[in-house]
Amino acid sequence: MTNNTVITSDNPLNNTQQKNLIALLDVLIPASDDELMPSAAGLDFIPYLHLHSAETIPILLQLLDHLEPQFCTLSPALRQPIVEQLSNTQAAQFRTIVMQVFACYYQTEAAQKGIGLEAGAPFPRGNDIEAGDLSLLDPVIAGDHGYRKA
Amino acid sequence: MAEDIVDVLIVGAGASGAAVAYSLADTRMRILCLEQGDWMNSSEYPSTKMDWEARQFKEYNIDPNIRSNSADYPINNDESPISVVNFNGVGGSTILYGAHFPRLHPSDFKVKSLDGVADDWPVDYDLLEPYFAHNDRMMGVSGLAGDPAYPPKQPPLPPIPLGLVGETMARGYNQLGWHWWPSDSAIISEAYEGRDKCLNLGPCMSGCAQGAKSSTDINYWPAAIRAGVELKTRCRVREVTLNEQGMANGVIYYDEDGLEQFQRAEVVIMACNGVGTPRILLNSQSNLFPEGIANSTGLVGKNLMFHPVGFVQGLFDEDLQSHKGPQACCILSKQFYETDPQRDFVRGYNMQVSRGAGPVGTALQGYASGNIPWGSKHHAAFKKRFDHVAALAILCEDLPELHNQVTLDPELVDADGIPAPKINYQISENTQKMLKHGLARGEEVMRAAGATEVFSGGPVRPAGWHLLGTARMGNDPKTSVVNNWGRSHDVKNLFIVDGSIFVTAGGLNPTSTIQALSLYIADSIKKNLANLFD
Ligand SMILES: Cc1cc2nc3c(=O)[nH]c(=O)nc-3n(C[C@H](O)[C@H](O)[C@H](O)COP(=O)(O)OP(=O)(O)OC[C@H]3O[C@@H](n4cnc5c(N)ncnc54)[C@H](O)[C@@H]3O)c2cc1C
Ligand code: SF4
Repeated sequence: MTNNTVITSDNPLNNTQQKNLIALLDVLIPASDDELMPSAAGLDFIPYLHLHSAETIPILLQLLDHLEPQFCTLSPALRQPIVEQLSNTQAAQFRTIVMQVFACYYQTEAAQKGIGLEAGAPFPRGNDIEAGDLSLLDPVIAGDHGYRKA
Repeated sequence: MAEDIVDVLIVGAGASGAAVAYSLADTRMRILCLEQGDWMNSSEYPSTKMDWEARQFKEYNIDPNIRSNSADYPINNDESPISVVNFNGVGGSTILYGAHFPRLHPSDFKVKSLDGVADDWPVDYDLLEPYFAHNDRMMGVSGLAGDPAYPPKQPPLPPIPLGLVGETMARGYNQLGWHWWPSDSAIISEAYEGRDKCLNLGPCMSGCAQGAKSSTDINYWPAAIRAGVELKTRCRVREVTLNEQGMANGVIYYDEDGLEQFQRAEVVIMACNGVGTPRILLNSQSNLFPEGIANSTGLVGKNLMFHPVGFVQGLFDEDLQSHKGPQACCILSKQFYETDPQRDFVRGYNMQVSRGAGPVGTALQGYASGNIPWGSKHHAAFKKRFDHVAALAILCEDLPELHNQVTLDPELVDADGIPAPKINYQISENTQKMLKHGLARGEEVMRAAGATEVFSGGPVRPAGWHLLGTARMGNDPKTSVVNNWGRSHDVKNLFIVDGSIFVTAGGLNPTSTIQALSLYIADSIKKNLANLFD
């Protein structure tokens, strides 16, 4: 695949690659049937990689090079077997990119809300958790668990 | 600088360096600590950011070779199935530690007498008990009195919440009739000494933005500095120097501009951890000690012990809310801690129940294990696992073996040209059997707790977080590097206070014991001030 637009340092993808990336992301994590979980197609994936894993951008480019230009025009059902094939023929690169997609996806507000979390940084919000029932210790206290005398 | 002499020079501002500095401060001696890293800025910790899970993997990675901050030095782990993890900065590895804070048991100090292996320590639990208690108060330790697996002790703060993970696992242990207890944790469950209590954020192992996790930059160091100790950061020590009488007379270090400096001192205390300390000792070569200072026995760097770790994860139908709460601190079990002649190994292991991962951690672990696919089945698989997993670590006692060692790498150097440590380490047959036993028992208790699926594995590679034994203590100068109060047998004004001096490793997290020893050594120095070098 050859580039048909200028590649900037921020977005190394040409238009076709960009469209294919969006289509690929949608296959990797499609929206859930109940629509609570968004599709990964909406991710700002390239900026995310720039920030957290710039070394994987060339791997993504290599992977996209294996997709035909018309991949993005196919129906989801037709894209699926192509991506499956890609996962077999380019196994290592594919795994690397899937992991980055998962990481990027679950750090978005939409995905966090979708899984029932309050979106945002953990601090200073914090969480409440159960103190727990310390009477569960009764059998331990009653049992034979003394320390070894030395 | 060359004329500027301090009474006590401490190298390393981590768990042990902080404790010894604080304790010695009341002598009003001139005390200086040199630390290669910097002060932390807690507002920069990953948990203050939306993308905290990604940040954990980079600048706060537990592996210094991946993190590669300017304070870090490289470590060659090629000849070891376990790689060293640490943190270099004020607070040392307590910045990233899990804060699981058990003490060694009385029996751990007597393994030769009790089990006929390794060696007894020249100190024991009773001697260290007041220092354990003092350290618990200084650090801020939460826990529950009454654990039958220990002599009586009273943690200063109530235990951190069990959460549904702790309760669920506790029921599993009860069903099997096994020991369990809420973990002693160096995390404050209530406001304490001007610090706010734990918020149950989860990601303690990338720094605690709340200041609830007891890292020594927020407890010991402020107290030591108030008491007059001077702490200089971004100063990397290259070697300890000797005078003609064979006494340490200071250190050569690189300052923050990379310039070589010499700092004179009456007493030098090493606190660079079980890898950093032997590295600097081995690099301190002289006519008197061609193999490194304090190394007439050849034991510096030898007997490295790690605690090989196995993990067991259980999947539960119930929502355990498992990403909430301190990651590494929940409950523990000492059921298999002591030697049992019925088993095919000596000594034993601790079971440390921990909580589940955050969303990214869940997705990545699930993908790696083949349980969370990409594609249309992704959401259902993720939902099944997120917040539904409980985990436990099997922490095996490693026995000292001469061939497990830290040496100087002949080629690899840090940014200042100091040789990097090289790790040669093999997991012994005894430990392998122990690990196998532990993984099987871990699976058993997961099932008893109601897990519908169980996975286990180990040894975990990036789990060299407990760095022990590389300058062991002992009464006999022929078989040990330091005496029973941390003083080098060879160089009488050189002390070591970090995990290097452990004789054996026990089967649990060592920092409580490292710091108790550090306070005890400081006290011994104070008691012996009049005849410190006799
Ligand atoms: C991810 C992780 C999780 C852990 N979890 C637990 C846990 O739950 N419970 C537990 O008990 N322990 C845990 N540990 C281990 C615990 O952090 C260590 O046992 C403890 O910090 C060791 O104390 P130390 O003083 O020996 O060394 P450190 O705390 O490592 O401090 C050594 C200091 O020396 C400095 N230094 C080294 N070389 C030089 C030099 N040449 N010049 C100047 N300065 C130097 C370093 O920068 C560092 O700050 C964990 C560790 C890690 C990394
Ligand atoms: S769980 Fe508690 S100790 Fe851990 S990072 Fe959060 S506030 Fe700190």
